[in-house]
Amino acid sequence: MEILSVENLYKSFDDNEVLHGISFKVREGEVVAVIGPSGSGKSTLLRCLNLLEKVDRGTVKVAGDTMVSTNDLGQVLYPPEGALKKIRLRLGMVFQNFNLFPHFSVMRNITEAPVIVGGKSQEEAEKTALELLEKMGLSDKANAYPYQLSGGQSQRVAIARALAMDPDILFFDEPTSALDPELTGEVLKVIRKLAAEQMTMVVVTHEMAFAQEVADRVIFMDKGQIIEEGDPGEILTNPSHERTKAFIKGLSDR
Amino acid sequence: MPYDWPGLINLILLLIDGTKIALKVFFLTLIFSLPLGLVTALGRMYGNRLIKGLMKFYILIMRGTPLILQLSFVYFAPYFLLPEGLRINFDRFVAAIIACSLNYAAYFAEIFRGGIESISQGQYEAAAVLGFSKRQTFMRIVLPQVVKRILPPVSNEIITLVKDTALVSTLGIAELYRLATGEASRVVSPIPFLIAGMIYLLWNWVVTEILLKAEKKLAYYK
Ligand SMILES: Nc1ncnc2c1ncn2[C@@H]1O[C@H](COP(=O)(O)OP(=O)(O)OP(=O)(O)O)[C@@H](O)[C@H]1O
Ligand SMILES: [Mg+2]
Repeated sequence: MEILSVENLYKSFDDNEVLHGISFKVREGEVVAVIGPSGSGKSTLLRCLNLLEKVDRGTVKVAGDTMVSTNDLGQVLYPPEGALKKIRLRLGMVFQNFNLFPHFSVMRNITEAPVIVGGKSQEEAEKTALELLEKMGLSDKANAYPYQLSGGQSQRVAIARALAMDPDILFFDEPTSALDPELTGEVLKVIRKLAAEQMTMVVVTHEMAFAQEVADRVIFMDKGQIIEEGDPGEILTNPSHERTKAFIKGLSDR
Repeated sequence: MPYDWPGLINLILLLIDGTKIALKVFFLTLIFSLPLGLVTALGRMYGNRLIKGLMKFYILIMRGTPLILQLSFVYFAPYFLLPEGLRINFDRFVAAIIACSLNYAAYFAEIFRGGIESISQGQYEAAAVLGFSKRQTFMRIVLPQVVKRILPPVSNEIITLVKDTALVSTLGIAELYRLATGEASRVVSPIPFLIAGMIYLLWNWVVTEILLKAEKKLAYYK
């Protein structure tokens, strides 16, 4: 089943057209890695998909429900607030800079949204949180505060926080880019684990080895367009497109 | 030495009466100016152009002119501005509370605005993707962090307010400073000033201790 379908997405900031007709689909349980040079619009794409930015044109469907569409007059239509919120709750997001809530304990970072937004009971939310923390290898950190965590631990808490809302799909924007190299491994390990559990994920990343190993499909973006997409081994080792070749070569030269 | 022991005790009792009135000015001003300051800050940041402009103007006036002048203005303005039949006799105490509250709200508004603007965009985005409404985000995520950040500058204002209560004496309110002045010139002695000074100092010491406790209480996170 398709969890996410994106058709002909356009987005500009003033007269800077950042997304230029993006179309792709994500099936249930699939892990898609999005790669591409800096400024190619990867973050903007994720931000449009999780409603942090409004699109200028295009259609996005989440598990068949329309999140945004464009009519014949070119007007962008979002569903009313209530319906939109329901869709939003099916999308999870993990940021590059974690964005944990510093005034909440790790436990409360994870339980606050399920209780306040999702209407879960406190006990139920805490039970789920403990399970998630265990999965993240952070069982002993439930009562810690974010300032007491390393970057890798913070990012794993952020992943647990997103998972606590039980999303249908999880977006990651460069989840390891803010981390010291020795800490990226622990975060990638967790994402690998989620992939093994058939969690549907879209991961913007610069970790090519990781993309090759974990992703079912790689999308290469440049200048607001998808240049090519396909099997990770194919794209990363034997790209067909000139721009992809240049990008991959640039990476290995560094 | 113009004071004997019974005289000194009477003087202290009198100044304590004045302190009570000064405390009333202090607490009422805080109770009104803190929420008003928050509303002003929100209007200044998120209002439409008209509201933004109005709030900016209000803050400019309040911070740009002396409080002592504002006190007199609020007290006398109704008399000059209203037509004869409608002239209400503004209670001096009410006028003092209005002027002090309006003045301090402007200072608090700018402190609140700075605090709110210092919260990173990432906090709003994290809350948004988790499904928090704008209101929930502000009340649960933003405001608690703002409170911690603005506590030191707000403490400064509160300590200044303790001393500024003396200004309402210009409206003839019998608070600590006015009573001390009266006694000092009646008996021709600096003792009333000395005792009043000690009372202000003690008052501010208590206020400082409470605020430091509050800061400590919020030190559980960074
Ligand atoms: N809020 C914004 N306002 C104006 N321009 C923006 C905004 N966000 C992004 N842009 C512009 O959009 C373009 C794409 O940015 P984006 O962050 O999506 O790229 P990216 O592929 O994520 O790059 P990187 O790999 O460096 O993270 C850039 O030119 C950027 O300057
Ligand atoms: Mg980016």
